[in-house]
Amino acid sequence: MEQDNAVTIGKLIISNECMPPYTEANIVADRFLKSAHLDAVALVEGREPIGLVTRHKLLFKLFKRYGFELYGKKPIIALTDTEPLIIHKDERLDVAIDKALERQAQDAYDDIIIVDDNDCYKGLVSVKQMIIQQSNSLANIIIQKEMISAKVNELKKAELMKSQFVANVTHDLRSPVNVITVVAELLNLDSERNDIEGLKRHLSLLMSGATNLRALINNILDLSKIEAGKTEVLNENFDIVTMLREVGETTRILIGNKSVDVEVIAHDGPIFIDSDPVKVKQILTNLTSNAAKFTEKGKIVLSLAAEGNNLSISVSDTGTGIKEIDLNKLFQPFSQLDYTKSKKNEGTGLGLTIAENIVKLLGGSIRISSKFGVGTTFTVQLPINQSDKTNAKTSAEAISLHDIKTIVLTEHEESYGKG
Amino acid sequence: MEKVKKKILVVDDDERHLIATQEVLTNEGYEVFTYSWWLGVTNFVRRLQPDLILLDINMPALSGTGLSSLLLSNSGTKNIPIVFYSSNDEDSLRKTVSEYGARGYISKGNIYELKRKVAYYLDNNIQ
Ligand SMILES: Nc1ncnc2c1ncn2[C@@H]1O[C@H](COP(=O)(O)OP(=O)(O)O)[C@@H](O)[C@H]1O
Ligand SMILES: [Mg+2]
Repeated sequence: MEQDNAVTIGKLIISNECMPPYTEANIVADRFLKSAHLDAVALVEGREPIGLVTRHKLLFKLFKRYGFELYGKKPIIALTDTEPLIIHKDERLDVAIDKALERQAQDAYDDIIIVDDNDCYKGLVSVKQMIIQQSNSLANIIIQKEMISAKVNELKKAELMKSQFVANVTHDLRSPVNVITVVAELLNLDSERNDIEGLKRHLSLLMSGATNLRALINNILDLSKIEAGKTEVLNENFDIVTMLREVGETTRILIGNKSVDVEVIAHDGPIFIDSDPVKVKQILTNLTSNAAKFTEKGKIVLSLAAEGNNLSISVSDTGTGIKEIDLNKLFQPFSQLDYTKSKKNEGTGLGLTIAENIVKLLGGSIRISSKFGVGTTFTVQLPINQSDKTNAKTSAEAISLHDIKTIVLTEHEESYGKG
Repeated sequence: MEKVKKKILVVDDDERHLIATQEVLTNEGYEVFTYSWWLGVTNFVRRLQPDLILLDINMPALSGTGLSSLLLSNSGTKNIPIVFYSSNDEDSLRKTVSEYGARGYISKGNIYELKRKVAYYLDNNIQ
């Protein structure tokens, strides 16, 4: 963007009309009458400007009674301003405007003659043109200022989010470490007293703290790697149906002895896609572990479908559900909702943030729909990268779920197929 | 006559901190109550009239600071000393203490500091 003080008057030259000073007035008038847009003509002798004729003033004089008779044959120099405003081409625009407007009122809007370093005639600049240019640069300055302050605000916000993030990380890392330290002390006392019951109790507390810490550290490392752009996508050709069933089985284990069934609804037979299997699994695991945590009874359904060129995998549950106002909080780091908070210990508030980031990395998207008290569905869309190297069951057509098979994993971990 | 045990209430949403803290302080001879859910906490405090409240700060539903303001503005609870009990760093804890009119703070993670400071705040309950 052009800086206002870089604008010099020389850049605004619109015409370099000029005539010798002894031209007949009639001829100059003719010139004006023929070109409607010509406002002024410089009178130049050799290359030196010595006067300025303006359309308005010349025609006014000539069209008066007897004007042509009286003045028509005279040299134009006799009828014109012989002390026109002459400004060097490198003069600053604002200074030039001041000079122009300082002139007598009747001359204030006359064109300005521009000269070069040798005082030779370069051309004419209109005052109107100058003022338009000036207000444009003022507007630009204002826009620039606004842009700068918007940028500053953005940075401030990012800074705030970052420090909020650091504060959260610090607290959340310390918290399990503190549990572990205290419990270790308690274990110490137990062993001094030979208190086996105490040892058992405190060991399981210690494990829980350590597990939480491990999850947290893994999550934080994952997230910072993603945010630093250091996460590589390593595509492989793999069968998404098998993966879905495996995730289903893991989910069933996470549910423990709550009466929640897991259903896997997918094409009967393999569907090979090109994507990063480790990352796809991480996304699915993050979603199903939430479903397992926040569902007390009912079922969790993993299902696969094709939508255009996308593969869509959804995880839905009959759990606590999420209030509408909370939906957009979920993907922010460390957000854990109060009505699910009894399970806070088991989470880090980073699972969904990570899942969303990975989904983006794989070129997909993630959607959520939920009804508080009824259940939640997360849907992940991943692009189907078609590859011809294995059986071409990757196209949407091939995945059209004619051959759907539902696998139900019940509490007793026996699985049976139906459909 | 048997000495009446001092009552301490620990409010924290992390179950493990509650269990560990309760054990440590019970071993010290206090009667320890725990509360992990903000709903009805003011009523609970009013009825219990503990000698000291240890309050976690980072709780998603109702922040410890919000809760302390609530307790300190309520006539039935405002004279009960509140001490923040948190994993936050000490600088921010010090600030929070002076900002919210708590008696002080105890950093989580150190049994000895916990015992010592609890004894201190109970002995120095100047109203
Ligand atoms: N399926 C679900 N049902 C209800 N609430 C959910 C579900 N998934 C996520 N949430 C809410 O979103 C929060 C953030 O989830 P997440 O980022 O995975 O963190 P974490 O599971 O470690 O708490 C959870 O604490 C919970 O409040
Ligand atoms: Mg999670």
